[in-house]
Amino acid sequence: MSIDLKNIQSGYDGFRLKDVSLQIARDSLTVLIGPNGCGKSTLLKTISRELHPRGGRVLLDSKDVTQQRSKLVARQISVLPQHPVVPPGITVEQLVGYGRAPYQNLLGLRSSEDRLRVEDALEIVDLSPLKDKLVSALSGGQRQRAFVAMCIAQDTPYVLFDEPTSFLDIRYQYEVLDLMATLHEQGKTVVAVLHDIAQAARYATDLVVMKDAQVRAVGKPTDIITEDMLSAVYGIDARVYADPVTGTPAVSAL
Amino acid sequence: MRHASSTRLIWTLLGLTFAAIAVFLWSLSAGAVHIPIATIINTLFDLDGPKQSFIINKSRLPRSLLAFCTGGSLALSGAIVQALLRNPLASPKIIGINSGAALGVLLTFILAPTLNLNWLPVVAACGGILAAAAIFTVAEIATVSPARLALVGIAIGMTCDAAVDFILATSELYEVSAPLVWMTGSLWNRGWAHLNAVWPLLVGLSAITLLYSYRLDLIRLGTAQATSLGLNVRRERLVLLALATLLAALSVSVVGVLGFVGLMAPHIARQMVGGTHRGLLPVAMLVGAILVVVADAAGRALFAPLEVSAGILTAMFGAPFFVFLLLSNTSEARG
Ligand SMILES: Nc1ncnc2c1ncn2[C@@H]1O[C@H](COP(=O)(O)OP(=O)(O)O)[C@@H](O)[C@H]1O
Ligand SMILES: [Mg+2]
Repeated sequence: MSIDLKNIQSGYDGFRLKDVSLQIARDSLTVLIGPNGCGKSTLLKTISRELHPRGGRVLLDSKDVTQQRSKLVARQISVLPQHPVVPPGITVEQLVGYGRAPYQNLLGLRSSEDRLRVEDALEIVDLSPLKDKLVSALSGGQRQRAFVAMCIAQDTPYVLFDEPTSFLDIRYQYEVLDLMATLHEQGKTVVAVLHDIAQAARYATDLVVMKDAQVRAVGKPTDIITEDMLSAVYGIDARVYADPVTGTPAVSAL
Repeated sequence: MRHASSTRLIWTLLGLTFAAIAVFLWSLSAGAVHIPIATIINTLFDLDGPKQSFIINKSRLPRSLLAFCTGGSLALSGAIVQALLRNPLASPKIIGINSGAALGVLLTFILAPTLNLNWLPVVAACGGILAAAAIFTVAEIATVSPARLALVGIAIGMTCDAAVDFILATSELYEVSAPLVWMTGSLWNRGWAHLNAVWPLLVGLSAITLLYSYRLDLIRLGTAQATSLGLNVRRERLVLLALATLLAALSVSVVGVLGFVGLMAPHIARQMVGGTHRGLLPVAMLVGAILVVVADAAGRALFAPLEVSAGILTAMFGAPFFVFLLLSNTSEARG
């Protein structure tokens, strides 16, 4: 089981992924890295059906996502977008509750299972005490956790996170990364876009390097993060060394 | 806490329903001729005692009912547009309804001056719907981004407004005084015929809109989230835009440009019961209905025997109140 991208061309006027093929293995924690504007979000949006590929196919467990009922795909893949919209006048619990939409009818009536899942999700991200607060009144880190909880409530085997750590201070960054790792340990397949290469190397089981609308390299972090790659992809002169805490590759620019 | 918020919603709805009834009765009593409440009750329920059948049944009752229906519909339309554009300052005006309707009416007056005035609402509805359709087409509705829709809406709306101004500036005033009064959002001289033409449609459209409240919640989360939650965003958005357009265009066709209600009522509702549309929509509807009924009756009573348009009154008193609301709202969101 996996998510398979086959010769994907998707994007906008002026930007198009160039025949991207990629397999995201079930049970992996796959991290996408690459320079700004290289197409990482475009790739995730294509998987989550926000963008329709103009060429190629996205297979979810070998079935084309565009051929399946939207609700059924929604029970398989959940998404934390790069810029989630904070709706006005919505409490944390209500927001997390929306994660149950794929299991509800169009009126959004909640079952007792829905309630349990929402409670669990709030517990996992440690937001139970704040469940009646407005999302708009939360701090950046709490807000991000609320959106993660929404993904958890959605109860999907695949979870996509687009830059979940950007704009967070270092403590909240690790909070979110650890949350990601926890979900992975619990058996979810996690796909995340990260900018910090050391963090990517530390958390990823599989690393995907993108540049100029293409996938440049796929593999284990230790194999992929090399001085040559950094110079070819980011155009920087840098040293790679083993992180003294984790032993995974870390980077210092020269 | 879910229970607490449900309880709050029920009490709010109950309170507003009572307020609506009270306001409605008052609106029947207010005007050039003051009619005591007892007389109104006698007339409405055909009891013994003094009655005022002519004024109430022929004039005030249909007019207040029309105010009630259109106020509620404009509020619903505004709530939809605000959710779709994810912009709290959006209103039916932004999808061109008001400007299109006004332009349609004026053009008709110029091109077909002999046309029976009874056609005015039809012309207005068509003008509003056409302007909205033009906006949706230019904004490429299928792939629409809210920002693009808002910009195109403003551009086309302004073009229509400019055309209206041009016609007004180059015409003799007597030709256009009737449409002018109409455009300010007046219920003067509206009767059963107007009411009967729109109420079944407005009630039907409102009922459908209420069924969309959960989908509005999801769409409010943005295309990315709504899609990943299994919603067919493109299709639902088209349906919702059609609902918003029809609700507003039909209302504007019989009461003219009552611009402020669609902007203000959803805001007031959001402050009362929060942002989920299950509560927001019915509350906004009642608030909108109350606003227009009050504005219409007050416009009739305050300066009798002169009449001030409900549209003018809602804007005059609504605008400062609205700014106050927005300011207090932001400080709450920050805190
Ligand atoms: N909504 C959009 N409309 C048009 N172009 C876009 C849009 N979003 C992104 N792009 C362009 O597509 C390219 C890839 O963007 P993206 O996939 O977001 O990159 P990133 O790797 O930083 O996530 C960029 O050049 C960007 O300017
Ligand atoms: Mg991105």
